[in-house]
Amino acid sequence: MAARRVGAGCWQRALWLGRRCRLPGGRESYRSSSSSPALGKTVDNPQVTQEEIVLPRRKTWDKLAVLQTLAATVNRDPTAAHYMFQDDPFLMPRNAANSRLYSLSKESGRNAAKYIIKNFPQYFDKTFAEPNVPSLMPQPITPQAEGVSEEALQERVHLRMVKESVDMFDQLLQAGTPVSLETTNSLLDLLCFYGDGEPTPEKEQEEKEDLEEPGVDASEQKAPKRQFRRGAQPGPRWRENNHAERIFKIMPERNAHSYCTMIRGMVKHGAYSKAYDMYIDLLNERHKADVHTFNALIRAVPYLKDKFVERWELAKDLLTHMAQQKVQPTLLTFNSVLKSLRRCGGVGRTMSLFVLKEMEALDIEPSLASYDHLLSVYYRGVEAQSSDIISEVLNEVEKRSFTAQDPDDANFFNTAMQVCCDLKDIKLAYQLNRALEKGDNWKFLDVDRSNGYWSKFFSLLCMMEQIEVVLKWYKEMSPSVFYPSPRNILDLLQALDAANQLEVIPSVWEDVKQLGFSRRQDLLEEFLSLMSREQHPSEVQLAFAKCADEIKGVHEAAGPGQVPLEWTGSALGHVVVLFSRAGRSQDAWNMMEHFQKINRIPTDKVMDEFLSCAKQNNCPDEAIKMVKLAASLGLPLSQRLKSRTEEEFELSETQKKALESIRWDGDSSDSDSDSSDSDRE
Amino acid sequence: MAAAARALRVLPRALHVPSATRQLHTSPVCLKARAARVRAGKGDKLVTYEQAHAPHHIGHRKGWLSLHTGNLCGEAGAAARALEDAFLRRFLAGTFPGLLLDEPVLKRRGNLLVLCALLARALPPHKLYFLQGYAETLLGHFYKCPVRLELQTLPARLPYKFI
Repeated sequence: MAARRVGAGCWQRALWLGRRCRLPGGRESYRSSSSSPALGKTVDNPQVTQEEIVLPRRKTWDKLAVLQTLAATVNRDPTAAHYMFQDDPFLMPRNAANSRLYSLSKESGRNAAKYIIKNFPQYFDKTFAEPNVPSLMPQPITPQAEGVSEEALQERVHLRMVKESVDMFDQLLQAGTPVSLETTNSLLDLLCFYGDGEPTPEKEQEEKEDLEEPGVDASEQKAPKRQFRRGAQPGPRWRENNHAERIFKIMPERNAHSYCTMIRGMVKHGAYSKAYDMYIDLLNERHKADVHTFNALIRAVPYLKDKFVERWELAKDLLTHMAQQKVQPTLLTFNSVLKSLRRCGGVGRTMSLFVLKEMEALDIEPSLASYDHLLSVYYRGVEAQSSDIISEVLNEVEKRSFTAQDPDDANFFNTAMQVCCDLKDIKLAYQLNRALEKGDNWKFLDVDRSNGYWSKFFSLLCMMEQIEVVLKWYKEMSPSVFYPSPRNILDLLQALDAANQLEVIPSVWEDVKQLGFSRRQDLLEEFLSLMSREQHPSEVQLAFAKCADEIKGVHEAAGPGQVPLEWTGSALGHVVVLFSRAGRSQDAWNMMEHFQKINRIPTDKVMDEFLSCAKQNNCPDEAIKMVKLAASLGLPLSQRLKSRTEEEFELSETQKKALESIRWDGDSSDSDSDSSDSDRE
Repeated sequence: MAAAARALRVLPRALHVPSATRQLHTSPVCLKARAARVRAGKGDKLVTYEQAHAPHHIGHRKGWLSLHTGNLCGEAGAAARALEDAFLRRFLAGTFPGLLLDEPVLKRRGNLLVLCALLARALPPHKLYFLQGYAETLLGHFYKCPVRLELQTLPARLPYKFI
């Protein structure tokens, strides 16, 4: 860092920035003490050094201090965000939405650069690097061969230009030149893969890339992932009589490859019954299908038949055909079978184990997708299955490090964690975490999935573990590994409540503010009710009052464009109670006046608390105002308040007269309070 | 006599050698006493540490803004590096218009080019990440080497003194 110069007068400011970097949310960072002593002298007490010289005491280090410090730097830093973000307090994402936004913006910046490189290749084609780096050269996009010929068609197919290649094919046919079978097949491949749409439609705002193999280093390339898991197939649907079908029909001769491509394209884009008809045609023509076609057909089985038994029979038929045509099944075949069994109910449960045995017999190692389908078959729905499959699966998964072989592999860890949560078993969850740490298995969780995974794990922890363990995991994991969801915060609050450690609540509130959840009504209600339930020692009470103050700020219009949140009666009551307990009677009175604005009536507890606060501060005027308010609202409580005021306070003559003059009608106000819009808890 | 006069008339033309002329050589003005020095003002001009120190302080109170091995003995390519530096500074100044608080520092480690820039917080973070991804990819394809952009943000320029 020799080139990073900081001015002499700015050393303190740089340190202050560094501190803000290290302490998000006000939590202590547990760096070892080797970094602080010399700095602490200059920064902490700038005033003290001018008046008196405080000699620091000599520190004694134990023998292992250096090694321990070095060891602490090797592990994951629990305060840092993901590696792809800049390590700067302004640029570090504070919640899940921001982290997704920043990673997507970076990716779209890259796409913008690639667009420029694609459209202006003449500025980027100098080769002066030795050896040349082909991946950094612009890709040729315009086809070289001009004119109407078969080579031109082949080139366009190679460059994935769907519309141009179809046009070229039509031109060739009109001119009468015969197009060879191979070229037609490659054209069919292109059309079936893209489903008659374009590879990269220009007007799409977000490129729906396929989920890349988790084997690739997933930390740098975050492809935008779809939020919703639609039941339908990704990509465009198969239209009636589109180009692929038309070309297929006018082909003079077709071989097995043509049929296979059509079947795979139809299954990919949702035309399942057509795919099955095409398969029957293929059998009639006495062709042999290849293994990919069979995989596609087996995946289509749940859409072809309705009853479970029929589905399984159809799948078995296809497998028998496969054996007859001497096509060797692969891992993907068995995964497709298991995927179809997911939608076969009870039949699926019995058959899936046979499928696994078959895989073992053929010496095919199951991948994570197989285990994922297995778990879904056994643990779907709300019926609590008393099967032990999950532990056996986890024992298998823990043993080895997996590679990505099936696109569905990525779902395994989330499904498994969901099962652990449903079974409420924390030991299984720990075992799953150990499996995640083994070898390359961490690559199967990208940022979105890992957020969901750790979120579920944290909910399970809050339910099942002691509060110290929960807090330790919380400090270590958020915000570096995952960003807590509102559900997680509620679970954490419940756990704190159960363990009677409510003094941690103010720091949780700081985190909530950072995460951007400070406008959620349910969270605010939970915070306020927990804080105001009981009396606490005074520092805690002061901290609670500060939180209440901030919550109050949320409810008022703060800054341009921010809609103020609506007060509810209970929230307002809690805020008054908290202010009163901390001795801030003026604030409490301001809150009391809000009650009329929202047409709610404060509860007895609120009024009593306010009166006690007024008594502590020795302000009888406040008490009288309170009694007046109660009387004007027509509460039956106001008589008791009046008597309490008379007894507990020392009132001057004017005050006593004012108290007496407060009129209180007992009967008529009862009917008033019944008819008015009151919210009594 | 007439033949001698005729010979004399021929002679001056033969003696006239076009290349033997006297000319004046001019070069553009290089004011070495004014390069990279901020002139003193009334006391309200904010000046960073980098700007406040003159070039003769490089190596004593200042570091270098561009670090590469082209100037070592036996190494080639110093001029190419200087040209690349000029382009990169203009590129960064244009990509982050008005946001650069100080001169970016360029470091070359093997094949890798690291650009360290100090930015203001005028743009929201997602826009800064967009520009970062764009700059990294574009420069990587342009210079055929991996490029990394390290950003640090500050609220405002860091004053060293007011001249």
